[in-house]
Amino acid sequence: MTPTRRTQRPWAILALALAAALTLSACGVTRGDDGEANRRVSMYIPNSPGGGYDLTGRAAARVLEDADISGRFEVTNVIGAGGTVAMQRLLNERGVDDLVMSMGLGVVGATYTNDSSARVSDATPIARLIEDQEALIVPKDSPFKTIDDLVEAWKADPQSVTIGGGSSPGGPDHLFPMQMAKTVGIDPKQVKYIVYDGGGPLTSALLGKKIDVGTSGPSEFEGQIKDGSLRVLAVSGAERLDNIDAPTLKESGVDMTFVNWRGILAPPGISDESRDRLVEMFTEMHQTQGWKDAIKRNGWIDSFATGEEFATFLAEQDKRVETTLKELGLA
Amino acid sequence: MGNLDLLLEGFQTALTLENLFYALLGVFLGTAVGVLPGIGPAMTLALLLPITYSVGVDSALIMFAGIYYGGMYGGSTTSILLNTPGESSSVVTAIEGNKMAKKGRAAQALATAAIGSFVAGTIGTALVVLFAPPLASQVVKLGGPSNFALLLLALFAVTAVLGTSRLRGFIALFLGLAIGLVGGQTGQQRLTFGSPLLADGIDIVVVAVAIFAIGEALWVAAHLRRRPLDIIPVGQPWMSREDWGRSWKPWLRGTAFGFPFGAIPAGGAEIPTLLSYATERKLAKHPEEFGKGAIEGVAGPEAANNASAAGTLVPLLAIGLPTTATAAIMLLAIQSYGIETGPQLFTGEPELVWALLASLFIGNTLLLLLNLPLAPLWAKLLQVPRPYLYAGILFFASLGAYSVSFQPFDLGILLVIGLLGLAMRRFGLPVLPLIIGVILGPKLEDQLTTSLQISSGDISTLWSEPVAVIVYVFIAATLVFIVANGLRKPQAEPATDDKEEVSA
Amino acid sequence: MTTIEKPVGTGTRIVDKAQYGLAAFLAVVGAYVVYDATTLEDGFADQPVQPYAFPYVVGAALLLLAALLAIATARGDAPTVEDGEDVDLTEPSDWVTVMKLVAVFVANILLIDWLGWAITGAMLFVGTAYVLGSRTLIRDVAVGVALSVGTWYGFYSGLGLAIPAGVLDGIL
Repeated sequence: MTPTRRTQRPWAILALALAAALTLSACGVTRGDDGEANRRVSMYIPNSPGGGYDLTGRAAARVLEDADISGRFEVTNVIGAGGTVAMQRLLNERGVDDLVMSMGLGVVGATYTNDSSARVSDATPIARLIEDQEALIVPKDSPFKTIDDLVEAWKADPQSVTIGGGSSPGGPDHLFPMQMAKTVGIDPKQVKYIVYDGGGPLTSALLGKKIDVGTSGPSEFEGQIKDGSLRVLAVSGAERLDNIDAPTLKESGVDMTFVNWRGILAPPGISDESRDRLVEMFTEMHQTQGWKDAIKRNGWIDSFATGEEFATFLAEQDKRVETTLKELGLA
Repeated sequence: MGNLDLLLEGFQTALTLENLFYALLGVFLGTAVGVLPGIGPAMTLALLLPITYSVGVDSALIMFAGIYYGGMYGGSTTSILLNTPGESSSVVTAIEGNKMAKKGRAAQALATAAIGSFVAGTIGTALVVLFAPPLASQVVKLGGPSNFALLLLALFAVTAVLGTSRLRGFIALFLGLAIGLVGGQTGQQRLTFGSPLLADGIDIVVVAVAIFAIGEALWVAAHLRRRPLDIIPVGQPWMSREDWGRSWKPWLRGTAFGFPFGAIPAGGAEIPTLLSYATERKLAKHPEEFGKGAIEGVAGPEAANNASAAGTLVPLLAIGLPTTATAAIMLLAIQSYGIETGPQLFTGEPELVWALLASLFIGNTLLLLLNLPLAPLWAKLLQVPRPYLYAGILFFASLGAYSVSFQPFDLGILLVIGLLGLAMRRFGLPVLPLIIGVILGPKLEDQLTTSLQISSGDISTLWSEPVAVIVYVFIAATLVFIVANGLRKPQAEPATDDKEEVSA
Repeated sequence: MTTIEKPVGTGTRIVDKAQYGLAAFLAVVGAYVVYDATTLEDGFADQPVQPYAFPYVVGAALLLLAALLAIATARGDAPTVEDGEDVDLTEPSDWVTVMKLVAVFVANILLIDWLGWAITGAMLFVGTAYVLGSRTLIRDVAVGVALSVGTWYGFYSGLGLAIPAGVLDGIL
């Protein structure tokens, strides 16, 4: 037998005491109190902590908890395949009415590039929360001074312009230049797009002039833009951004808008009452000061929409992403 | 230079009671999460981001820095004691560190790791203080071609660690490269068997834990001594003169490897720890000890690991450029206070930057003070009964794999690769080349793709950057040197004493 | 896997037959990697390094290594089996214990969604400790429960990671 036989007793007592102490002190953390307002809600986050969906989802959950609109939130990061794994799990939880998932444009693209049968349009739409614009960013001494310079050079020889983005094919930074190429009359297949692993490596590639143009949300480059080492040619939304001195694409003669949005979905097959309850919950959250602060702190743009408006938007986005990726042979 | 004054002011900020408390908390938390595979410093920081709502910016950053350094150290503790690397950066440490522990030299392994981390962290932080702004502007000039050359250098170094049988070394390496192919990083699903759960590839930490911990536990189970067990001696609680003599050079060399790799985009800690290991093995006076618990093989990689953490701060603070996931989240934290990161951080927020740098010195000292006295205590952990030791290893390995996203599937992967680890031990395949294949394969492909995409397929781009040229010249010179010395096989047979062995 | 005769150094040439199995495994993996590569299409926007380029190289190398290993085995090459402090190579390999451990592990995988980590984690610990020769069941259970429940709360309350509670949802 083991040589530590003598110490058997103290081990057992210590372990038991530890277990008892833990159980007593922390017992019942998963138990929701009774009553509608205190129901526990689960939230899936389709990427890792610190990522975009995580920041949005956790910010919303925190506001909901703090303002006593909902009970305790149980947030789980379901990581995999750009959100496809989380999407599939949400669809599998048919009829579960205390579960939501934060998601956005990138998840829509990921379901296609990963050949998944999970479709965002199969889930129950709850609310669109925020949006981020995309920006066309160039190094300080780039020959492209305006968007026209870029479009001209791009049209003359699509291969001569190297575009880098922080998301993989199907993600916002990739979809944006592809849709823009199509708008200005370039075959998206001709676009030279290079994937960088997030904002950091992309910044480095731009500063080191390894690529000609970067496509990304401008907030990650704020410091470099202020400092003048990077310039923004245009932003992709319908309106200009407060803190960035750059025109919209529409103003510059490229007739398109593109936003990277994030929102909330629930599983399919939940009752109308359950859906309305969740919609009501997020509507209430949207009005709190806490949420306004969160939006400000993260530099997001409020684009709240629920019900039919969000459902239509979601279906339209799904279609548009599918078309773009089909043309590229990625879906 | 006014930097010294600024640094002293930084110490004043960092040494307030409140900030000292946060530094201590960070170091503790970091060590705790570093121990668990699956949960790393990056994830912990992300989960703690909400703290920025309620704590001052200096306190939050000081705590985050503590977590960062603590995580590096915690990862190596379990590598040494349980053969279960908590982070990908401490994978190399497990090779010699665990062998040392099994020989009753756990305390020495932990001590050389702690002191090496301290030395490297301190030198690294000093380099940040002195050189951050001028270095950072050089860093961005490195592109795909330079990274590709550095990866080739690492691959070249790998041949040094293939073990005694070249054939088996290459088998392990290519199995690793095959595992590294899994996933959809190229835009198409490779070897995923149609499962989206495999689309992101297999996490290097899961592979390392499976190969080291699960494989080892299963192998031991197949051969567990049935007679009364020898108790692993705790041995001397402190490093001997000889240990010091054998450690200090590897510490410094490890620092020299780690710091630059931390600073460059796509660098990280894995490649420098590996290069450090290969170097120490080549330079060691007793190369035959490698693979059986050579202290140089712990000292060098551990120093490289911590120096790279310091190097990460160069581009982060100087131009707001994160080169690792952890750095990216620290950047996020700074931004959530409304502080502009980028080249203006040093001039715009000098108090904050210098307080952070000062707290790095403090954090390193705290880690040393905490861990040195604990080393002999930790080493006693190995004396728990064998069934408990291995049951505990399996327990924590499973928890680590499961905690990534709470899917049983990940546990399945862990088991399958663990069985591969068992087979590797049965067939004498070295494990390190496999791990290296998993790490380097995807990076190599990625950097080659990026380089050639930018150059539109023109292959001459690969030697278009000065760093790349220097690396290729270095590789070529080494090759010439080896050939000139007569290509003698490294010691064909390790000194075998009691073991049975069949020579081919 | 079958119990292998240990190639004890008697001076005679012993062929480690199980090593042919490893060679076959390498060949299968290599062939599958190559097959998988053939199913890949050209990437978008004329990539210079196509997604199938690396797999072809790796797969071909594995096939080559499989052949080399088979030849080496036939010539009497045998592995240096890994030794260790807790490893006793003088006894024949005990694959039954390994199978039992794998069974405990698989049980954990199958039950974890239903029972939750707080229960299956303890089962994993107790089960593996038992298989490895521990016969102090009460102590094992106490330690196992303390570990699994402790880590559960550590994750849930400490780190804010909602580790699924399984059947204990509402109780923990």
